[in-house]
Amino acid sequence: MLEGDIEALKGAIAIIGYGLAAIGPGIGIGIVVGNAITAMARQPEMAGTIRTTMFLGIAFTEALALIGFVLFFIA
Amino acid sequence: MDQLILATECDVVNEVICAPDDVKELFEFTEVIFSIGPIGVTKTIFLFFLAAFVVVGLLYFGLRKRRMVPSKFGVVIESLLDFVKNDIAKDIIGPEGARYVPYLTAIFLFILVGNLFEVTPLINFPITARMAIPAFLAIVTYVIFVFVGFGRNKFRFLFDTVWPKHVPIGLRWLVGIIELVSIFLLRPFTLAVRLFANMVAGHLMLTLLLGSGVIFLTSFPEIGAKALVGIPWFVLGLAIYLFEIVVSVLQAYIFTLLSAVYIQSSVHFEH
Amino acid sequence: MQFLIATILYAEHEESGSNVSLVLPERAELIAGILAFAIVFFFVWKWALPTLNQTLETRQQAVSGQLADAEKAKVEAESLLSDYQAQLADAKSEGNRILEDARATAEQMKTDLLSKAKGEADHIRSKARDDASAEKSRALSDARTQVGDISVDLAGKIVGEVLDPEAHQALIERYLADLESL
Repeated sequence: MLEGDIEALKGAIAIIGYGLAAIGPGIGIGIVVGNAITAMARQPEMAGTIRTTMFLGIAFTEALALIGFVLFFIA
Repeated sequence: MDQLILATECDVVNEVICAPDDVKELFEFTEVIFSIGPIGVTKTIFLFFLAAFVVVGLLYFGLRKRRMVPSKFGVVIESLLDFVKNDIAKDIIGPEGARYVPYLTAIFLFILVGNLFEVTPLINFPITARMAIPAFLAIVTYVIFVFVGFGRNKFRFLFDTVWPKHVPIGLRWLVGIIELVSIFLLRPFTLAVRLFANMVAGHLMLTLLLGSGVIFLTSFPEIGAKALVGIPWFVLGLAIYLFEIVVSVLQAYIFTLLSAVYIQSSVHFEH
Repeated sequence: MQFLIATILYAEHEESGSNVSLVLPERAELIAGILAFAIVFFFVWKWALPTLNQTLETRQQAVSGQLADAEKAKVEAESLLSDYQAQLADAKSEGNRILEDARATAEQMKTDLLSKAKGEADHIRSKARDDASAEKSRALSDARTQVGDISVDLAGKIVGEVLDPEAHQALIERYLADLESL
């Protein structure tokens, strides 16, 4: 195979890899935020604490997608 | 204009969006813009110091006059500092958080200004999209929480992490390894990468969409009706622009918040 | 761990011009970043936060001082108000008292004057009655003496012309009797 073809193939695989890496965190962030909204609706007086915890949860979940994003550049 | 936001040639006749040939061109500025003695200052390094002086200037002009009733600008600065002190340091770490307020305030303001450079007209480059800053700040946080952990708990900090006594004996070795990797390797890595990747992604989207929009619309005389392709790109770019303002503030908050959480887990080490 | 992988990949791809260098910090930028952050950190640590704390402290002191002042002024105003109210009540009762006194005095004077006038009137009336009766009795006695004189005169005149002792006697008798009956 030609050098350029290999490069193109690598790029395509990296894009697919990033897409796969984004699935899990996407679902995870949805669950985190959804449950946070439910909790805030139930106990509006706790909204501040819940919001902080929600951002923490999002940050931890998001990390996986971001690692995938970085690996996309490395590949 | 297109040099400013998209440092690449664009084939407007054949393409429908202007993607740079090499992403590096958007982030690496090796050209020396001026020299101080033997040290050449690139655009990136200049922006690092600009961000530092913007933070210093904001604080100086916000707190300079010690008035009874602060000005509107003074109120903004004071409430920012109060936010870090009370909502991050005191709420997360507790009463001992007062010791870490200077560090948390400094990283919050520095990252906030660095992130907002992404949406500042004429600068349009987030300095936190260069790995140097997130990596350095993450390493500082790492050093602080490891030192505090060992300082307060001696080697129990390490032993109880590897050999957690509250976990059933069968799983203890597995949990221990996961905790060890998570605390001592993944924490600093994800802390740095989260900020870095968010800002890189934001800057890429903005340059791609706004740059394509502007280039297509300005090349109307050459390509005729095809220039209308630029309109959706530009509108989408403006939407992302607003979104990136939120992301900039949020990522500065999350970096500071996570630093506080990591320090807190060392201050109140319970295993 | 990924950090190590990235480093290894970087070493492998260094000459092929991949994007790995994007994810790794550059030495010059790292030094510049450290310096820039150090500026921010020392400024926040040594100037911004102490200044803010000082400002907040003085502000709090001033506010609490103002609160105490306001409290004091309020207490003063309240005592002043109660003083005024007491004085006002005093003045009102004093006025009422004076009015009452004046009314009583006027009443007293009125009754005094009335009784005095009545007494005087009575006195005048009784005096007038006495005068009148005295006048009457004097007039009566006057009339009696005059009548006697006149009758004697008349008698003399009559006697001088008609000397008739019996008739004379009878006339005197009768006249005297008439006089008696008068």
